[in-house]
Amino acid sequence: MNISNSTTAPNAGEYAGDEVSAIVLDPGYSTTRAGFAGEDVPKSVCPSFYGHIDSDPPHYLFGENAIHDPLGNLQIKNPWGSDGIVEDWDTATKVWEYAITSRLTGNRPGDPTKNGLNDGNANGNGEAMDVDMEGLENLENMEKPLEDSPLLMTEPGWNSVKAREKYIEIAMEEWGTPAFYVQKTGVLAAFASGKASGIVIDVGASHTSVTPVLDGMVLKKGVQKSPLAGNFVSNQIRMIFKQAQPEIPLTPHYLVKTKTPVDAGAPAQATYKTYDIPPLDSFRYNEEERVLTEFKESVVEVWPGPGRFTNGTNEEIAKSLPGRPFEMPDGWNQLFGSERYRVSEGLFDAGAALQDADNPRPKDEHTIPRLVQAAVQQVDADQRPLLLQNIVVTGGSTLLYKFNDRLNYEINTLYPSTRNKLIAPGPLVERKYAAWIGGSILASLGSFHQLWISRKEYEEHGTNIVEKRCR
Amino acid sequence: MASGRDVRDMLGLPVGGETPKAAIQKRAKPAAPGKKIQGVAREVAALYGERPPPVAVYEEKKSYRAKRQSTGPAKKWVPQPFTNQARSDGLILKHWRRKPTSTPAATNGEDIAMEDTEISDSYIEDSSEFLKYNVAPDMPTFTEEEYDAYLRSDDWSREETDYLFQMIENYSYRWPVVWDRYDYQPSLKSHLPTSQEFPNDIEQALATLPFAPPKSRSVEDIKARFYEISAKLMKLRIPEVQMDADQYATYEILTKFDPVLERNRKTLASALMNRNMDEVKEEEFLLAELQRINMAANRLDAEREELRARLEAPIPNQQVSAGLASFTSSQALAALFSQLFQADRSKKRASGGGGVGPGRLSLSATDLMATPTSAQHAQLSAANRRQSLAQQAVQTPIRHLSPLAELRYNVSTHDRLTSGITFGADKLLKMRQAKSNVQTQKIGQALAQLGIADIISIPTAKVGDAFEALVTKVGKLLDVRKVREKEEGECRVLEAMKARRMSEIQSDENGGERRSTKREVSDSQDRDSADIGDDDDDDDADADADADGDADVDAEGEEEDEDAEGEEIESQMQSTRQASEVEVMSTRATSAGHKRSASVLSQVSTKSSKRPRK
Ligand SMILES: Nc1ncnc2c1ncn2[C@@H]1O[C@H](COP(=O)(O)OP(=O)(O)O)[C@@H](O)[C@H]1O
Ligand SMILES: [Mg+2]
Repeated sequence: MNISNSTTAPNAGEYAGDEVSAIVLDPGYSTTRAGFAGEDVPKSVCPSFYGHIDSDPPHYLFGENAIHDPLGNLQIKNPWGSDGIVEDWDTATKVWEYAITSRLTGNRPGDPTKNGLNDGNANGNGEAMDVDMEGLENLENMEKPLEDSPLLMTEPGWNSVKAREKYIEIAMEEWGTPAFYVQKTGVLAAFASGKASGIVIDVGASHTSVTPVLDGMVLKKGVQKSPLAGNFVSNQIRMIFKQAQPEIPLTPHYLVKTKTPVDAGAPAQATYKTYDIPPLDSFRYNEEERVLTEFKESVVEVWPGPGRFTNGTNEEIAKSLPGRPFEMPDGWNQLFGSERYRVSEGLFDAGAALQDADNPRPKDEHTIPRLVQAAVQQVDADQRPLLLQNIVVTGGSTLLYKFNDRLNYEINTLYPSTRNKLIAPGPLVERKYAAWIGGSILASLGSFHQLWISRKEYEEHGTNIVEKRCR
Repeated sequence: MASGRDVRDMLGLPVGGETPKAAIQKRAKPAAPGKKIQGVAREVAALYGERPPPVAVYEEKKSYRAKRQSTGPAKKWVPQPFTNQARSDGLILKHWRRKPTSTPAATNGEDIAMEDTEISDSYIEDSSEFLKYNVAPDMPTFTEEEYDAYLRSDDWSREETDYLFQMIENYSYRWPVVWDRYDYQPSLKSHLPTSQEFPNDIEQALATLPFAPPKSRSVEDIKARFYEISAKLMKLRIPEVQMDADQYATYEILTKFDPVLERNRKTLASALMNRNMDEVKEEEFLLAELQRINMAANRLDAEREELRARLEAPIPNQQVSAGLASFTSSQALAALFSQLFQADRSKKRASGGGGVGPGRLSLSATDLMATPTSAQHAQLSAANRRQSLAQQAVQTPIRHLSPLAELRYNVSTHDRLTSGITFGADKLLKMRQAKSNVQTQKIGQALAQLGIADIISIPTAKVGDAFEALVTKVGKLLDVRKVREKEEGECRVLEAMKARRMSEIQSDENGGERRSTKREVSDSQDRDSADIGDDDDDDDADADADADGDADVDAEGEEEDEDAEGEEIESQMQSTRQASEVEVMSTRATSAGHKRSASVLSQVSTKSSKRPRK
């Protein structure tokens, strides 16, 4: 609302927008994105991980600040299952509700689960409520968090019917939304790039998915998913650290009190913190993951081609290139040479992935080129060239350095006779939040409002209306 | 620094005096980059160290900004509840709208809130703004009886047919999506009672018999079934003979759909797509080769065309008739050459158009999709298919008369009608007029000679046509006459040259080396020297020069006519040649220039045509 010409209405012919202050919720494995439709970035990006302290009643912690606080006996969990579908519905509801209420709609007053977590909310409230007195007034008589806003949710392409029905049930029963719709992330990511048809390659945290989209509809037979994504790369990095001689210590920030600079490769000179009641292993794992994400952002690189990393002399070439430095939270630091290519190679070449007892060799058909091939194979022959002209790349892990170069190379070797075009938005937010942005566009379109499933329809037909309406 | 030290050395000053100065300088140095980063606290700037800051720091310059125009008090916006007309459930949502009432602004915040609630309580907007996007595909419908009588299929149960229609409607004729989502599960419940109800009716029992495993249907199966039903229904609603053109076209498309053919086409298309790199490279190579061959062939054709045009209907060329004197400089010649080359190329492009252009090396989406059958389906599936077909129908003539009947009723068809009314007489008059006055006069004379009246009394279309044919012929005749005169002049010149050469050579008494020396001197091709020796060849060289000039002017028209005329003229030329030798000396000077440029041109053109052939 801070645009300079807020006194004039947008030109009718300019865009078919009609904003109804809908909320768009894009839950992912690593983060949950939420915000008002019509805005260009999600206002609220919260981790999907939550803290759990076993007590009676159990104590839950949500939000970026809370889950990185090393409390005694704190466990970090994630409601998503290994199959890429929500497993723990109760906490998933809470995590998502936190993402919505913490910054967008404000809290239900006096909710016991929120006690002690409201520290950051005072100003968060003010931000979301800059609209009018109206919001404040409604806050008083609001019982459920979404009483006033239609909700558009995103779901993975392979979501089960049961899970979708659960989505609408949560939205209607627990949050009291007046209208609901659920759309697949693939379609929305394509919309965010201005495409109604294309192949969407989404490399997130827990899963990589390839989704063929035609005229805004997912071709279900072609949807492919695999577990080779951000977390897989993290595990590869852990293995590199473990197999190094000497082993590279991975100490997360919360364990380090002070550090002094040391030479590259020398043991760390740091004093460490100890806790009377330490947090549990899962907390440490999550903190390590933070360091690894930093490592992915600044060191890891994808072998750009031509050829695979293990082909011919490519490995030798990689060795001759200058390394990249990385410093651990405890001060240990080193240059990383050809290893930095190795950890990401598994995404494209299963044979090149590092293996150990916990991490078996990935399946060949799970690599990204094979996923694309399988997806294209499942599409009607006439549509294939069209789809290959619009390959939309999205998801946090596609930000790996040179990822697109390699993907481009792989697709062009797979399909040398078609015109293949990658569409990878440059700005970081657009790549990470493409599905949310697409949802934001969709839910602010005037023509979309006839698609909402209203509360009345839900009450008439029950949860299975979602199968009929959100096709 | 070194220079300062030198100076101090020279002046014999103590070296120790350097240290405090150096310290000052050192202190000054970090300040220098600090000055560049403005708008940052000194302490923060110091943290950067000597390296440039990781983030570019821009100072927001205070620049002139137009003062905001005051448009009165702040406009109020309210969250206006509205219902969408496209919905039947009366869902009320709120969007932001200008507050409709222009009551004076209340200064109190509470007042505003109260007013807002008042309005929203009383008024709910009925929005039809986006109603136009609420479109449903139109589907063929049929009754129970119709289905039983006409639409049964051994392969499709009634239930599955209904399911198919539902799917097509749901996904608005998007066949790939319909196929993708097609998952028909025959329900046993609905079948059993019906088969018991009609135990005697075998057909009924058969039709409703559950098909044990759900069949997997291909896109072609689905389309075939739907098209078949649509066609049958269409025929039922409108008998074939009563269909108008576009309806019939639709009907034809529907009946002519061949799933086997479609399937084969798709297999080929996917095979084309799945070629490996080597095959693609090979294709690329072959296409390049083909392009080369095409280019050579086109050039050859163009050359022949030029030759034929020259022989059949010499078209006066401005440049040539202006005299070749304009091409004496090498610059002008180069310009002419590039112009000809361009014309040649554009001609080739036009002829090479249509299917596979030689330049295309990759496959595009439209390539695979633009096959005739699928294009027709696409049309069909479009929700507004009637419209598009109606547009097509405009071009198709509705009824044909026999030629005799046409003549009788004086019916004529035209590709394009010009607007307005024209008189036949005007048309005839216009034909008499040429571009130049002289030409008009000449045409008039020729017509007078033929005994044609100035005004033709009944200018019917037929008379008009005949007159037009006559006038074109007269025009050609005049052209030919003009060219003939020119050629004759040239012949005379050349003959005179020949005679002179002969006498020179005879005096030289060395006939054997004549050709080779000539070649060295003129540095041209065989043909040039042949020109001199041979009478019949001299208009060949000229054709080269001349026809190159009008390469872009295509000779069109009835070849036979022109052929006959051309021959006549040829013989005339032969006979008049000897008679007019007297004029040789007078035209000699100009034609010498002509000759030279002609040989250069022919050389260039043969060269350029040879290059691609190599
Ligand atoms: N700049 C980056 N470089 C490499 N990986 C990144 C980068 N930023 C985020 N990631 C990784 O991307 C993943 C999160 O991607 P995202 O698309 O948000 O996943 P999800 O949709 O499953 O929540 C995490 O595994 C994170 O480590
Ligand atoms: Mg995601």
